[in-house]
Amino acid sequence: MIQIHLAVEDELSEKILKRLLVDSGRSFHVSSVINRGGFGYIKSKIEGLNKSAKGFPFLVLTDLDQHVCPSALIQNWLSKPLNANLMFRVAVREVEAWILGDRENLSRFLGVSRDLIPIDPETLADPKRTLVQLASKARKADVRRRLVPKKNMTAIQGPEYNSCLSEFVGTAWNPLASALVCPSLAKCCQRIIEFTPTT
Amino acid sequence: MLISKLTLKNWRNFKSIDIDLTERVFIVGANASGKSNLLDAIRFLKDIVKPGGGLQSSLTQRGGMSKVRCLSARKSPDIEIEVELSETPGDVCWRYAIGITQQSRGQRLPVLRFERVWKNGAPVITRPEQSDRDDDMRLTQTYLEQISANKDFRPVAQFLDSVRYLHLVPQLLRSSEQYKGAATPDDPYGRNFLEMIARTPEKTRRSRLKKIEGALKQAVPQMSGLVDMKDDAGVPHLEVLYEHWRPNAGRQREDQFSDGTLRLIGLFWSLLDGDSPLLLEEPELSLNAAIVRRLPNLFSQLLRRKSTQIFVTTHSWDLLSDKGIAAEEIVVLTPSSEGTKAQVGAQNEAIRTMLESGLSAADAALPLATPENLELFELTA
Repeated sequence: MIQIHLAVEDELSEKILKRLLVDSGRSFHVSSVINRGGFGYIKSKIEGLNKSAKGFPFLVLTDLDQHVCPSALIQNWLSKPLNANLMFRVAVREVEAWILGDRENLSRFLGVSRDLIPIDPETLADPKRTLVQLASKARKADVRRRLVPKKNMTAIQGPEYNSCLSEFVGTAWNPLASALVCPSLAKCCQRIIEFTPTT
Repeated sequence: MLISKLTLKNWRNFKSIDIDLTERVFIVGANASGKSNLLDAIRFLKDIVKPGGGLQSSLTQRGGMSKVRCLSARKSPDIEIEVELSETPGDVCWRYAIGITQQSRGQRLPVLRFERVWKNGAPVITRPEQSDRDDDMRLTQTYLEQISANKDFRPVAQFLDSVRYLHLVPQLLRSSEQYKGAATPDDPYGRNFLEMIARTPEKTRRSRLKKIEGALKQAVPQMSGLVDMKDDAGVPHLEVLYEHWRPNAGRQREDQFSDGTLRLIGLFWSLLDGDSPLLLEEPELSLNAAIVRRLPNLFSQLLRRKSTQIFVTTHSWDLLSDKGIAAEEIVVLTPSSEGTKAQVGAQNEAIRTMLESGLSAADAALPLATPENLELFELTA
């Protein structure tokens, strides 16, 4: 069994990583999850995580957001070389792109036409906004209420955004389908499958 | 029905505030800024209307007019409370307003300066009436508290009477027999919480405990069963099954539950119990941060199924870190020499902009509730 620690930006990323670890078919066991909301905390602790990774495997997932590319982000965050035990993965541009990648299941989950879902989610500037806009067209009222802010409410997401999408990731999402159109997800899956902890 | 607007004048910390409210209300503010006093204005209306309540007793219970009146008040020392009630957000159906002053002579009793009720915008009650002018003792009582007088606005009375307040104190629940004297009216601190559960009809009780057990299991993984029972003396208890290394799991009673477990059970029970407004004081206390982060989501889930309203006072960064909390749902309290100001997040340009930019209420509103000059916070005088 491979004991592993996760560091993520939010509940949704946590759910996604746990799903990928299970789907890898390897015997990963998540020992702990660092989630302090947003990338700032991970960025401030990344040097410490890199150092700790000498003894314990870590899997870090963050959103690319406005960085040029994943390697630029990693170089910007880390002054020392990446430890072999630290899997540092970057979602282009946000994990929401990885959700949008599985058009088949997402269209069924939301109750929207598959044709409305973009075919190339990693090229989207703001995948989260796209996802929320898409959800506003959902035929299922409950899904709409959970994912989309109410009329005249100032928020970027609905009141149950995280739990609703976590439910999708846990029950309906097909990462393999999504990886076909999301290279950053494909790389993340590949890395998890090939990962060998060093001591 | 929900309280869609609250207006206060000279009530405790508040000299004059007027706030729009939604189905979820998150009240933030520094210590002693008046978070509980804001909820107390709603509890005060409940205390007037509840059986055995009334204007005089509700004020006496709070130490009289001088304790309730705002310290910053100068010119107009009358207290005014007004609530606007809506069937659903945006659909105003009732308004209830009272002004309270003190007799200038004699017993100096608190008396109504006015009591007004509107239904769909049209006045239903406008006091003082001629009969009040003929007999000024009538103004020591509201129509709200009198069944014979509130017939035309009974839904308002019933609604205010249904408001619930919870600030569960685990120590009080665990060893209620050690605390002598009469219980606090409505038992917000949970001293008689177990009796209240035991009084609930069996079918409802079992179904709720089952739901609570399901949610509790996620928070306390080693726990596997939650049941209520009575001991030989007929005293009600809650029991859970804790799994450990022994083959037979151990049973534990509420006096062995952790503070967090007790507070979660209390919180879940009150969320499942009834569909009237619920006032929650700092639900984050004793709970793990990951659980606290999920509370706003839990409230929303509940509001999807029940048409009700949840007020939450909080200091918790984790609770407010949920980006699904909208600017309209936040009330920020800021103390000043002219009384505490209350502002809904939507009225604050900075909060709106920050939330629209993907930051959370924890980033946008909580810093406004942090006292200045905390570098001087030390005990070396």
